[in-house]
Amino acid sequence: MSEAVVLAADIAAGHDGDAELVVTVRYENGVVGVVSLDADCAFDIMQSCGAASSADLVGRSWHEVLKGV
Amino acid sequence: MYDILIKNGLVIDGAGTKAVLSDVGIKDGKILAIGENLKDGGQQVLDAAGLVVSPGFIDPHTHFDVQLLWDGAAKPALEHGVTSIIPGNCSLSLAPLKAEDRKTLIGMFQQIEELPPAAFTDAFEWTWETFSDYRAAIEGDLSVNVAPLVGHSVIRLWVMGADAQQRAARPDEIEAMQDLLRDCLNAGAVGLSTSFVDVDENARPVPSRFAQFQELDALCAVLGEFGRMLQIVPEFYDTDITIARIDQLAELSLKHKIPTTLSPVFDNRQSPNNVPRTLARIEEQTARGARVWPQMQTRPIDISFSLLRPSLFFARLPSWVKILRLPVTERISALRDPATADKLVADVGEDGGERLMGRLIVRGGGEAPEHLVGRTLGDIAAERGEVPARALITLSLENDLEIAFLAANGGHDSTDRIGPMLANPLVHIGASDGGAHLTSFSTYGDTGYLFSEFVRKSGALTLEHAVQKITSEPAEIWGLKDRGMLKTGYAADVVIFDPSTIDRGIERPVFDMPGGGMRYVRDSIGVDTVLVNGQIAWAKGAYTNAQTGQICALA
Ligand SMILES: [Zn+2]
Repeated sequence: MSEAVVLAADIAAGHDGDAELVVTVRYENGVVGVVSLDADCAFDIMQSCGAASSADLVGRSWHEVLKGV
Repeated sequence: MYDILIKNGLVIDGAGTKAVLSDVGIKDGKILAIGENLKDGGQQVLDAAGLVVSPGFIDPHTHFDVQLLWDGAAKPALEHGVTSIIPGNCSLSLAPLKAEDRKTLIGMFQQIEELPPAAFTDAFEWTWETFSDYRAAIEGDLSVNVAPLVGHSVIRLWVMGADAQQRAARPDEIEAMQDLLRDCLNAGAVGLSTSFVDVDENARPVPSRFAQFQELDALCAVLGEFGRMLQIVPEFYDTDITIARIDQLAELSLKHKIPTTLSPVFDNRQSPNNVPRTLARIEEQTARGARVWPQMQTRPIDISFSLLRPSLFFARLPSWVKILRLPVTERISALRDPATADKLVADVGEDGGERLMGRLIVRGGGEAPEHLVGRTLGDIAAERGEVPARALITLSLENDLEIAFLAANGGHDSTDRIGPMLANPLVHIGASDGGAHLTSFSTYGDTGYLFSEFVRKSGALTLEHAVQKITSEPAEIWGLKDRGMLKTGYAADVVIFDPSTIDRGIERPVFDMPGGGMRYVRDSIGVDTVLVNGQIAWAKGAYTNAQTGQICALA
């Protein structure tokens, strides 16, 4: 009965030289994947799920986090 | 008698053969002889003692389409030893283009190239609509060789007009696109480029993204008539989608007997499996006989930001994020408020931001005072008697927030990881994006960086291998006829460089775009002389008047 969770949230350089948020997610079926978010999107989801910092995303339900998109 | 005789150089032929001390004799734009002590003499003799003599470098992913209309050397690419470029990537070329669609395309080009508007209105005359007429518009004044791609987005725009950015094509429209592509290939286009990622200036997907698979398939059938390249921008931020694109490219390659390439492919610490998984799938598809070439750049990606826009650089600092997300006027007042600024400085930690911010570099190009450009924030802060976090705030306020900071090496920056990737025979070195992203970062000098970082510093590639990866390999992948090697009968595109110093210079802003537009460039280091089709185009730090660049003949 596992749900998708955020394993890590790191800052990396995007193609255009802007910083991006790289979120590592473990999905329900156990597969681990990464999703890159630009600044606007990342700040929106952090705000909507009440994460003060990108580090606060770790351990959260991915579906909860996605509600902020 | 040779036109030019290069004496005593360490000749690297580009095929991967070991370097040998030799002379190179050039006549009528071609290499006439290579050997020890060539006797015939030359009208001009170049002494290359202590230097490497190699084929000119080839840059397969550029956006010099517009710049070529006023600068046939694609400066500063040529001075880095790049003698052939491939513009027209990422679904965007300047032709074929109807006069009524110029404004639409300019928007897309500005988005990717960041050229000022004057570049499109004052710097040249729009004399063409067809691909062959664009070719004619640039051909006479070239100092560098050009193998132009035609963009899928412009082909769509020609056939479908505004609908190109709204819907899938009907069968009759697909047929019209096929005919148009055929015309372009007959006029010398090296292939077709498409994108699954790019957007225009209003953040709308570019036209190529509205194509269904059957449209791409039909266009690839035309590429197959000529054996020409399909270039794509895959969803590079997602490994699984990238792998699906590789499978799609492999099917197209096998079905239509065409080469294909995807760019960019990046490595970074946050998704360490991305490149290994991508290359594993490339290996499988290559074993099936598909030609799918992932392009990888040599240079690291630097993060750059100013306080004008909220950057994820601050994502771990909640109080900073809160202030930076305020509207600009409120943001400036908040930063000016002593109590708020004190709290921001306190929140970065006891070291005042030394660890996080001390090594940030002040970039030129914005409002940054000249004497601060290129210096670290830690250094400037010490001079001002402030901690780095405080200096970041005060410097930003003093310059209306128009001061940018560079966090060097934010991604694709692990030399130990990237070196073996670049050396991998399945990897196509490219993806420089030359001539694009002008105001964001420099796209020049990746070849110099290949030698300084991956030959001299890490030893991931031998000198001969590195030369091969940017000369004969790209020439073969793209089907550039008689280029990419120092070989009798081949075009005399030659670079003479110092293997112990060749490198890229530091990034600096220049204001040499039409209308005084700014761009970041890097100067070449250690490149002595560059010849294009047998004439000296650049030597000892200066361009010549030679305009011997050609539209590349194709195999
Ligand atoms: Zn591009």
